[in-house]
Amino acid sequence: MIITNNLTKKYGEQIALDHLNLNVKEGEIYCLLGANGAGKTTTINLLLGFITPTSGSAFINQLDVQENPKATKRFLAYIPENLMLYPNLTAVENLDYFSGIAGKTLSRSDLKIVLEEAGLQSEAFENRISTFSKGMRQKVGIAIALAKEAKVLLLDEPTSGLDPKASNEFGVVLQKLREKGVATLMATHDLFRAKEVATQIGIMKDGQLKQQFAGHDITLPELEKAYLSTMDYKELVS
Amino acid sequence: MFSYNFKYELKQLLRSRWIQLLSIVLLLLFGFSTFNGIQKVEKRKKDITTAQEEVKENDAMMLKLLDSVERGLEVSASPWTIPTSPMAVGNYHPRVAAMEPQSMAFMATGQADLFTHYVKPTVSGDDFALNFTEMTSPVQLLFGSFDLAFVIVYLLPLLIIAFSYNVLSSEKESGSLRLLAAQPIGIQNWVLQKLGLRFFWLAVLVLIALTVVFLVHGINPFAQAAVYFGLLGIVLTYMLFWFALAFLINLWVGSSAKNAVALLGLWVVFVLLVPSVLNQMGNTLYPMPSRTLMINEMRSLKAEVTARQDEILDNYLRDHPEYALNDTTQTRSFWHRYMASQSLIKKELSPVVDAYEEQLQKQQDWVGRFKWISPAIIAQESLNQMAGTSTQDYESFRKQVIGFAASWREHFMPFLYNNQSFSQQDYPNLPKFVYTNTKTSVQNRVLLILGLSVLVYLIGILMYKRQTKNNLLAT
Repeated sequence: MIITNNLTKKYGEQIALDHLNLNVKEGEIYCLLGANGAGKTTTINLLLGFITPTSGSAFINQLDVQENPKATKRFLAYIPENLMLYPNLTAVENLDYFSGIAGKTLSRSDLKIVLEEAGLQSEAFENRISTFSKGMRQKVGIAIALAKEAKVLLLDEPTSGLDPKASNEFGVVLQKLREKGVATLMATHDLFRAKEVATQIGIMKDGQLKQQFAGHDITLPELEKAYLSTMDYKELVS
Repeated sequence: MFSYNFKYELKQLLRSRWIQLLSIVLLLLFGFSTFNGIQKVEKRKKDITTAQEEVKENDAMMLKLLDSVERGLEVSASPWTIPTSPMAVGNYHPRVAAMEPQSMAFMATGQADLFTHYVKPTVSGDDFALNFTEMTSPVQLLFGSFDLAFVIVYLLPLLIIAFSYNVLSSEKESGSLRLLAAQPIGIQNWVLQKLGLRFFWLAVLVLIALTVVFLVHGINPFAQAAVYFGLLGIVLTYMLFWFALAFLINLWVGSSAKNAVALLGLWVVFVLLVPSVLNQMGNTLYPMPSRTLMINEMRSLKAEVTARQDEILDNYLRDHPEYALNDTTQTRSFWHRYMASQSLIKKELSPVVDAYEEQLQKQQDWVGRFKWISPAIIAQESLNQMAGTSTQDYESFRKQVIGFAASWREHFMPFLYNNQSFSQQDYPNLPKFVYTNTKTSVQNRVLLILGLSVLVYLIGILMYKRQTKNNLLAT
């Protein structure tokens, strides 16, 4: 569902992403770990078509992102670190707007069902987004993905700044989406959440994918150790 | 996408109180400027009415005097003012040549402050040098006081800038742009739709505010439907031009602060700088001859002509034997000599007056040739024309008055040279001045501003396509 072939992005002499090869299948959650500047967000920007690759290619649902920018966006949903919606509109209205411009027309009752499915409390449906916490806004973001019936979900550090309860709820929703067959690529610093939800985990450094694991093959301490050693934090590894 | 943008743009504008704020501001601006304009038009009408009332009273006195004289009664008036003398009528009982304000004159009253709206040409007046051209700068003539035209040309673009400068940059700065750009839509189309909708709602507010203000002031806009729709055409296309500029800047520049500065810079260029530069260049390329010099030349010529008035009269009678034949008494008064000399003075001064008018015309043509550079000039000129206060209107009035002054003088010539007295029976035949409005159509100007808006829009698209996406969406 998400494929990158030798995907590379250079800014002048600086290499932001170096020959990345990924394959995230239907119903998989791929967590990309890495320090700031490792190339996680660049990967997501390239998959969204926000920037053009220097070389290589990216595919969403078998469509080349660069050649079919609009068509690929029909299949994907994106939740950035700070999901900003329209503060003067309610949760239902924001969902109606974003799913509407994406080509999905839902009735008001359907919109509420989707918001409920995303885990938002019903009493918040008609409240303006300006009163929402970050966790609540992330749930509206998930609702947009559900309303769009997205096959691919791109998440850029979605749990940063969330309290443990909200982060846990977010993980539960991701699992539900996985069960529905959604392919998820999540860039994160949150090793714990990655271990909890991921079917595959990749560790990036300096634009390169250094290590890959199957989620069920590795324990959290092993993951932490692998991460720290990849980052060359030798004193912390011991 | 459009139906969702349409639905939620209005909701957001209402909830952020933009619609309410704009409605109040527009009503206040249109209301005050219309009130201001109406006051000026009323003053103009009052001045004309007062002058006409004076003429009426003066005429009643004249007819009374004529009646007394014709009945052989003694009258107590200076001999040279007794209206049996045609020259006394021509000189002391002039008609009012008035430029009646047009029904929508309140829209643009700027030049009303600079020009005279009524004249009383007499047989001894220098009609060829009527004081209509005190202001020679064509652009200065275009812009006036706090009237509706000022609000539309100067202030409305500022409201549009405030309403549209950050349509895209605010999305980028708040972070919602990345979510938007992740949807299967074109950002360029999205911006176009957002600005198009803001244009639509502002146009609706302008339309309502203008109509309400007109009705409150007792003006029925539909009584002058052509002018009213012409006004709407100019206002809407002028607004469209500024929204097109906002589209270009939104796609091109970036941050909200930069957008605001860029749009305000363009406002200065189009509304202040271009008219001022055109004016300066017009003055430099076609400098006006000195008006003082012209007046001095007129005076010296008059003095010279006065010195040889007998000779001139002889020449005049040689040219007009019909008057010489009737000159049985051979009495040659001051008026005989004066009237004969007038045509000579006019003829000899014509090169000076013509040079003055020619330069003025060249300046007007210069502005006319380059006015398309600034829609502000086109809009102001159109509003002035619809209000009947444009340079062309005053020029037309001036020419009509000159024509009337000549016919007024000509009317008394047979009386003078045939030694014929003026009687009560002759009164109804006195020439009357009727002002004819210049015909106005703003259709071409509407199309011109529309064309400029499309050009700016196309430049916006071209710029957007040339710039890298990295600037807009990469974080």
